[in-house]
Amino acid sequence: MTEYSRRRFLRVATGTGAAVVLSAAAGTAPAAAAPQGPRVYVLVVDGLRPDEIGPVLTPTLLRLREAGTHFPAARSLPVTETIPNHVMMMTGVRPDRSGVPANSVYDRAEGAVRTLDRPADLRGATLLDRLAATGRTTGSVLSKEYLYGIFGERASVRWEPFPIVPVSGHAPDLATADALIAMVDESDPDLVFCNLGDVDRVGHTDLTGTTLRAARSAALWATDLVVGRFVRHLRDTGRWASSVLIVLADHSMDWSLPHRTISLRSTMEGDPLLERRVAIAQNGGADLLTFTGPDAERAEAVARMRRLALATDGVLSAHEPGQLRLGPEAGDLVVYCRAGWRFTDPQVWSNPIPGNHGHPATAPIPFFVTGGHPAVTPGTSSAPARTVDVAPTVGALFGLPEPDGGYDGTARLAPVPASPR
Amino acid sequence: MCPRVNSRAQSALSRREVLRAGGALAATGAGLLAVPPAAAAAAGPFAHGVASGDPLPTGVLLWTRVTPAAEALPGSGAGPEVSVRWEVALDEAFTRIVRRGTVATGPARDHTVKADVTGLAPGTWYWYRFRLGGAVSPTGRTRTAPATGSALARLRFGVVSCSNWQAGHFSAYRHLAERDDLDLVVHLGDYLYEYAPGGYQAGEVLVRPHDPPVEMTTLEHYRRRHAQYKTDPDLRALHARVPFVVTWDDHESANDAWSGGAENHTEPAEGTWAGRRAASQQAYAEWMPVRYEPGGRLYRRIAFGALAELSMLDLRTYRSRQAAHPLDPVISDPARTITGSEQLGWLTAGLVTSGAQWKLVGNPVMIAPVRFPSTLSTRELEALSQLTGPLEGVPVNVDQWDGYTADRARVLGALRDHGVRDTVFLTGDIHSAWAAELPADPLTYPLTRDSVGTELVCTSVTSDNIDDILGVPPRTASVGVEAAIRVANPHLKYVELDSHGYSVVEVTPAAVQMDWFALADRTDPASAARHNASFVVRAGTQRVQRTGEPLR
Ligand SMILES: [Zn+2]
Repeated sequence: MTEYSRRRFLRVATGTGAAVVLSAAAGTAPAAAAPQGPRVYVLVVDGLRPDEIGPVLTPTLLRLREAGTHFPAARSLPVTETIPNHVMMMTGVRPDRSGVPANSVYDRAEGAVRTLDRPADLRGATLLDRLAATGRTTGSVLSKEYLYGIFGERASVRWEPFPIVPVSGHAPDLATADALIAMVDESDPDLVFCNLGDVDRVGHTDLTGTTLRAARSAALWATDLVVGRFVRHLRDTGRWASSVLIVLADHSMDWSLPHRTISLRSTMEGDPLLERRVAIAQNGGADLLTFTGPDAERAEAVARMRRLALATDGVLSAHEPGQLRLGPEAGDLVVYCRAGWRFTDPQVWSNPIPGNHGHPATAPIPFFVTGGHPAVTPGTSSAPARTVDVAPTVGALFGLPEPDGGYDGTARLAPVPASPR
Repeated sequence: MCPRVNSRAQSALSRREVLRAGGALAATGAGLLAVPPAAAAAAGPFAHGVASGDPLPTGVLLWTRVTPAAEALPGSGAGPEVSVRWEVALDEAFTRIVRRGTVATGPARDHTVKADVTGLAPGTWYWYRFRLGGAVSPTGRTRTAPATGSALARLRFGVVSCSNWQAGHFSAYRHLAERDDLDLVVHLGDYLYEYAPGGYQAGEVLVRPHDPPVEMTTLEHYRRRHAQYKTDPDLRALHARVPFVVTWDDHESANDAWSGGAENHTEPAEGTWAGRRAASQQAYAEWMPVRYEPGGRLYRRIAFGALAELSMLDLRTYRSRQAAHPLDPVISDPARTITGSEQLGWLTAGLVTSGAQWKLVGNPVMIAPVRFPSTLSTRELEALSQLTGPLEGVPVNVDQWDGYTADRARVLGALRDHGVRDTVFLTGDIHSAWAAELPADPLTYPLTRDSVGTELVCTSVTSDNIDDILGVPPRTASVGVEAAIRVANPHLKYVELDSHGYSVVEVTPAAVQMDWFALADRTDPASAARHNASFVVRAGTQRVQRTGEPLR
């Protein structure tokens, strides 16, 4: 593990004139003149729907997909939210092992619903620290404050998102791309984990609803441009031939009409056993319900919660967390909504945004392995790629041993038959 | 179904029609009503050919029918109990026989033979044959499915439906048999028709008469009719060439069948529906290369590695009675069903939890909603109504999923709610070619183009369609009708109402493509076929797109 306290700050000038501040673990070497071995860039276009990739709005992503191996059957994993899926990408294990099942959970110890954005929330090792421990350089360029929060200082080189857009809590893709390019120039990491947040954030805040997604379209177009800029930079600096890009989303997006909202809080409050004893962590398309009463009453309480939830208009299904490979952090019951609906808990006005994810309708994601590395080959695979497959795929590229207990994912190396290193 | 058949007003056969019916008939010199089933003696004990079906990774079902004695004619109930041997080899010369066995048969199952062979290797071509005494059957070729979960670069198969003996020759089957690129053939139903000669044919022309020369209603009739179809050289050639995966539609029993009756069934004159249906199902189980026995479940799922799985539906056995007309409010009654609740649960659970990339559904009747424009002429509407059912008010086909909107909403809702992608319905029944997207919500589709799946519909092998019904040359009157339908239904990307023929489907990780081939003349036993159109569904898109390039 990296010694977090011993770090240095790097101030890097960028092509767009902005200065980027990176922090690095002590002893991280600056870029060597010519890169050795593969450089792997995991680019997460947050919230991108697979059917949004096309020649008009996202020509760069389309070209990259066609040049690499495309996994059209790819899906996000429960809960289809940002933090758990980013954690699965970097750990290669499911939430019952990482401790990170959703963005928002009810913290029994603190007695409050909170975001899982603390470094200690993530149990076990990630690629960022495991690869760094082998002497390689890893980097994180995460546009969202809570992602920066949970991954903390695990990477050898980190960028803290800045400037932050108020309300959305994320840095715009232009700034994120500046940081990504600056980090590659400065430290040339073997692995960079990058989250581009604009497409998702604009999806959430786009109030134009189901039929007019003008802002979303503009974000897709703009994000595609910054990806194009990054690719061009890799080419211009002679890195393309050693680059492997894993491009995917953490989840997709589903739009709901204003009247299609579900408030389970009011439903639960009508039951005398459950009244004021159910905590609800709302995750857009999924509600995580925790019974806060005595353990002796839990079984009966959960049965009632399930019955009441399933009788509610717009609810798709209810699951024991273990069924979804979620640990105790997910509470007692996970409730999904149908497509075109959203949860708004604890209050009926808590979730005013039309674009949501967390429910199964938002599981399909884009997922392709591309780049100029000679081992990358064009093609399409039926394999059921998942977000949890990113870590084993990257690990295999670097010949990294599996973590304790093995991976829960599978290396998707159809396009890269041999480990180049 | 399908083209509504006028089951009353059947004209007696003219002498000219009888003569047109074919040289074989003329040569025997027999009167029409005494037409024997295929000449068993001439062809030996294996007069009905060999077939295979329902491939699994390590097994496949083999089929034949033996005629061990002259009196053991199909449907006769006569003839001895016999034991039939079968052999499966890795080569056509049978130098490497890998499996063999023996099956007993007799008059109780009309001397049909089914051997469910196990212990084979996945994704492998095999040759098979049967022996009865010293007689050896023709050799058949078959192929096992790929290993469970394995990567598969390509699956290619023929898709056919609606093969009416009386309406023409099965050139479509011959053209499919002559290809060497197919892994199997999917038959979506109306494999045979129940009508008497003169009941339903090629427009006004009886190309070749049915045997027995009556509407089939009894077990003997159903057996004899199956036997007659299996004497067709083109059908026999195709069965011997590749395995079939089949389901029935209505004509395997009677037109517009439902769980309690059929449009073309009259009680008590034609017996009880339960009895007639049981007879049709028994004959089907006996005569078709399908893993189905009477009283069992026809709907089933066949997997092709990680690439695809094929869910074959039975949309006749469990369905509620058709609505009386398209404005009948029962169309959306949630208590009515086209699948039955058990099959619906099986279908949706399978789609939602599928481990395969492409979820193919062998779907006997169309699921895409179809509304007919009000601008069509009365004559055009009448012709359409014969294809689709009665037209009054909002024209929809109440025999399709359009007549059971609650079940359709359940299926399409499951696809949408669970984010299921790459579901393709492969459909027959309507005697015309269609390519459609399946709107998540038909009202908002024109704005959002949100589609949850696609549907590709093959045309009929021979059965009548619009130009036949209107009595006009192909590609004349229908062209305007097709355009009007597309305007009224923006999710329908292709409608072709004239041609007969077959389709070829290719499934790869990148796309599903259907090529439609049209026969030059269904009444010509040597008819040529030409490529008519191709549509592709690219992975992850839920959209159909025309492509100029047929499969190579
Ligand atoms: Zn996200």
